Amino acid sequence: MRDLMRLPGARLVLHAAIAIGAWLALTWVNGAVDPLMNYYIALVAMYATAMFGMVILVGLSGQVSLGNGALMAVGGYVFALTTLNWQTIPFTVIPMNGIWAMLFAAVGGVLFGLLIGVLGARLSGPYLAGLTLGIAVGIPAIANRFPELLGGETGLQLTVPYPDGGYAPVVEEVDQQFVEELPTGQDELPTGQDPLASDGSGDLLTSDNFPSGDASVAPDDLLTSDNFPSGDASVAPDDLLTSDNFPSGDASVAPDDLLTSDNFPSATPDASALPLDPGSTDVSGVDVSGVDVGFVLERWQASLAVAVACIVGFLALNLVRGRQGRAWRAVRDDPVAAAVSGISPARSKVSAFVVSSLFAALAGAVFAQILAYVGPGAFGLGLSLSLLVGIVLGGRSSLVGAVIGAVLLVWLPEFVLSLSNDRGWEEQVTNNAPNLIYGLLVVLVVLVAPGGIVGTLQALVGKVVRRARKAG
Amino acid sequence: MLSISGLSVTYGPVHALTDVSLEVPRGEVTAVIGANGAGKSTLMRTLAGLVKPVAGTATLDGNSILGHKPEDVVRMGVALVPEGRSTVPELTVDENLRLGGMWRSKFERAGLNAEFYDMFPALAQRRNSRADTLSGGERQQLAIGRALMCDPQCLLLDEPSLGLAPLIVTQILELVNRLAVEVNIAVLLVEQNAVTALRVAHTGVVLNLGQVVMSGSAADIASHEELRHAYLGY
Amino acid sequence: MTQLIDYLLGGLGSGMIIALMALALVLTWRATRVVNFAQVGQAMFTTFVALTIQTLTGSWLVALVAAIIAGALLGVIVQYLVLRPVRRMDTSGAIIATFGVLIALQAAAGMIWGGDSQAYPQPFGNTALTVFGREWPVSAYDLVVVGFGVVLVVGLTLLFTRTDLGLAMRATAFNPEVARLSGVRVSRTLTIGWALAGIVGAVAGVLVAPTSAISPNSFDILLVFAFTAAVIGGLDSLVGAVSVGIFTGLVLSVVSGYSDSSNAPVVALFLLALNLALKPEGIFGHSKARAV
Repeated sequence: MRDLMRLPGARLVLHAAIAIGAWLALTWVNGAVDPLMNYYIALVAMYATAMFGMVILVGLSGQVSLGNGALMAVGGYVFALTTLNWQTIPFTVIPMNGIWAMLFAAVGGVLFGLLIGVLGARLSGPYLAGLTLGIAVGIPAIANRFPELLGGETGLQLTVPYPDGGYAPVVEEVDQQFVEELPTGQDELPTGQDPLASDGSGDLLTSDNFPSGDASVAPDDLLTSDNFPSGDASVAPDDLLTSDNFPSGDASVAPDDLLTSDNFPSATPDASALPLDPGSTDVSGVDVSGVDVGFVLERWQASLAVAVACIVGFLALNLVRGRQGRAWRAVRDDPVAAAVSGISPARSKVSAFVVSSLFAALAGAVFAQILAYVGPGAFGLGLSLSLLVGIVLGGRSSLVGAVIGAVLLVWLPEFVLSLSNDRGWEEQVTNNAPNLIYGLLVVLVVLVAPGGIVGTLQALVGKVVRRARKAG
Repeated sequence: MLSISGLSVTYGPVHALTDVSLEVPRGEVTAVIGANGAGKSTLMRTLAGLVKPVAGTATLDGNSILGHKPEDVVRMGVALVPEGRSTVPELTVDENLRLGGMWRSKFERAGLNAEFYDMFPALAQRRNSRADTLSGGERQQLAIGRALMCDPQCLLLDEPSLGLAPLIVTQILELVNRLAVEVNIAVLLVEQNAVTALRVAHTGVVLNLGQVVMSGSAADIASHEELRHAYLGY
Repeated sequence: MTQLIDYLLGGLGSGMIIALMALALVLTWRATRVVNFAQVGQAMFTTFVALTIQTLTGSWLVALVAAIIAGALLGVIVQYLVLRPVRRMDTSGAIIATFGVLIALQAAAGMIWGGDSQAYPQPFGNTALTVFGREWPVSAYDLVVVGFGVVLVVGLTLLFTRTDLGLAMRATAFNPEVARLSGVRVSRTLTIGWALAGIVGAVAGVLVAPTSAISPNSFDILLVFAFTAAVIGGLDSLVGAVSVGIFTGLVLSVVSGYSDSSNAPVVALFLLALNLALKPEGIFGHSKARAV
């Protein structure tokens, strides 16, 4: 932040203009599209928020991390715990609200990022990747360790938007409302799917240790979508968001079968409580598509996610295009030379970690609100891998690339689904096709175009410009 | 005999070698001398197949050695001892020797191995110690030994004196001279330490900024005062 | 005390499997200085191949052989198509590429065999053995697993120390340039290293499958355990990978025995973090610095 203040004012204004412009444009778009599209926008903005951090960490600072999904979990869980357990901010009388909870999530993210960053800054390539891989698998597993506090495999249900009068104590909340109102599939989720009971007492590698067991809950876990037990399929088809807007009831999309608006407890009349929605006045007044829109949950989700993404994007722009960005690149390209020039490689790497985990935690808090739920399955290894896929495809060291990557992450599964509907693919194929494509594309991009989409376009433009200059 | 003609190497826009021609006859040591960045190491790495030239030819007894992979160049009889004691420190003395000329039959290797240990009794005693426990001079001997296990027709030595004590340098260079004369192989020696190199070499070639500025008998070059001042800095 | 011994014995089988997977990681690391994060993906894939063969032929042994062949092939393919071209580029690229392979393999397996966990038949008795009138927490199958592990480790050790191929592989690992200049066909040696790793991983996969289950993601946690063992063992050291791998299995077994099996990943993570913080070069590693 100190560096940010030192920047010439002009650049600051430019970045602010970009961020505000993007926010205004997206807010307008949000008001003009149907709820399904709102929901996609929310997801894209959420992914982009997390991936801005990945660009800084992986692209600029050169530290390949798989831990950002876990850091999103930190953000999501802190958000959930603070909103569920605190009526007011501790030691004060200030009532809790969604914004405060997001701030707590941000603080949690920074602290965790600091911890991992200090540990990770000493490590080079594969060691860091392996450590963060362990974190990606380990942190969600911690949720299983504290079922009373963190909800175990089932996770914690949230009420969004943040209710006016705050939450009732968490236990009652879960008992009264959610268990009854959740879709039927819920019964099959938590355990019960240990297809092979293990016998040995000390047998570690049993299926309940394996993430696939967790994945059953995984609402939005792109890279494990096929792990949904077949039981889920029954829930999915028509419970999705607003079913009439949805392409067609195919279980494979299944991102949000748990959190459908019509099952949703508070999505009912309470439209006045929009603590986090900056665009609420614009949005709620507009009536698109002829439906009676008092309050559209997806639109609220989208405006929340877009607002956070624009704020984070503004911060990221300033960092990436400023002194700190140059320092990160310098350390990535040649740590010794950077150290000789007075940049501390360790500090630079830790700061990249802290910034990226701040962004990840904010994204996680947004994700928690989009899902109205936090659980180990939602923040599994698949999420971390998705983030990596996204930035590699978009362009490892480009913020624009992060946005493109986020769009790809949301769009490709839908595109494959529509293809599948046209051609009548088997469900097994449809479910896995996006990941197969992602995996192959990642390999291809690393081999052929390490700069990703943005890097390649930049190179092409550069070539054309040079050629034009030569010709002229 | 190793003959090089018109050899040019570029690293991007940088011309590392330009139109270098020289001959290395059997039974003689040819010393290539010159300052830092004169292109000496590039010359050696090109001959060994590690760097691709943009132009020129290099033949060993009439067969072209350019355009092959390093592992094939070795099989053609050209062995390089790269700069900086090129042993594998994690392997034992014996294993380092086994590594050289691994494509040969067990029988041939046993013979070469025995010859080497005859030449270096000190190393024979330590055949099962790891190479990183050897002294600098011993490691350089071992590096040369590894190259000799390839039974080369032409030996390329890149800065064998680097980082060694003067007495050891003399020993190593005398060994090089003996190898050329007694085993009758063509030795191309690259040295920054011009005085010592010219003392053991038969022929000298002075390289500056990638070009041959002079070649002649070692004695001529050593006594050429202007040349010494201009390119060799003493 | 007897309980502790029981827990330790109970961890032997899984320890050996972690050791083998760690061994596979070490083999690829030694060959190409790349940690192959796709290794468990390859093992998962070949285990599915083995399951298919097992269903067709009914023979556990034939299935194992099929997995070994598939493992070697897959190792060669991944090395040849992905890692060989990437090798010249940045390390980030190589790491990301292995994750790309992992994602693709898991998706491909899901496409072919479905995403649900499937049982892998138990070739030998999995009931606790009774010796000296006492029931031990070790089954005949555990002994088979340990036996396979020992055979592989001894075989690899002999290969590396006694054969020219082994010497070429070690020289290539430590100093590829000197190896090339000595006439070693380096790229072929690297590919053989990957094939060997693929074989070891494939065996580990087939061995672990009956005790858990097999699904596209079911080996993910094994990757974490194996990576932990390989890194603590020093990444370069076969002995280190195997001994720390078995040790990890024992520790996790004791932890699971006294508390809960869901603690295992957290404990592994803790061990890994502790090792990386205190002794990043590993217990058996050479003293090369790993930090930048």
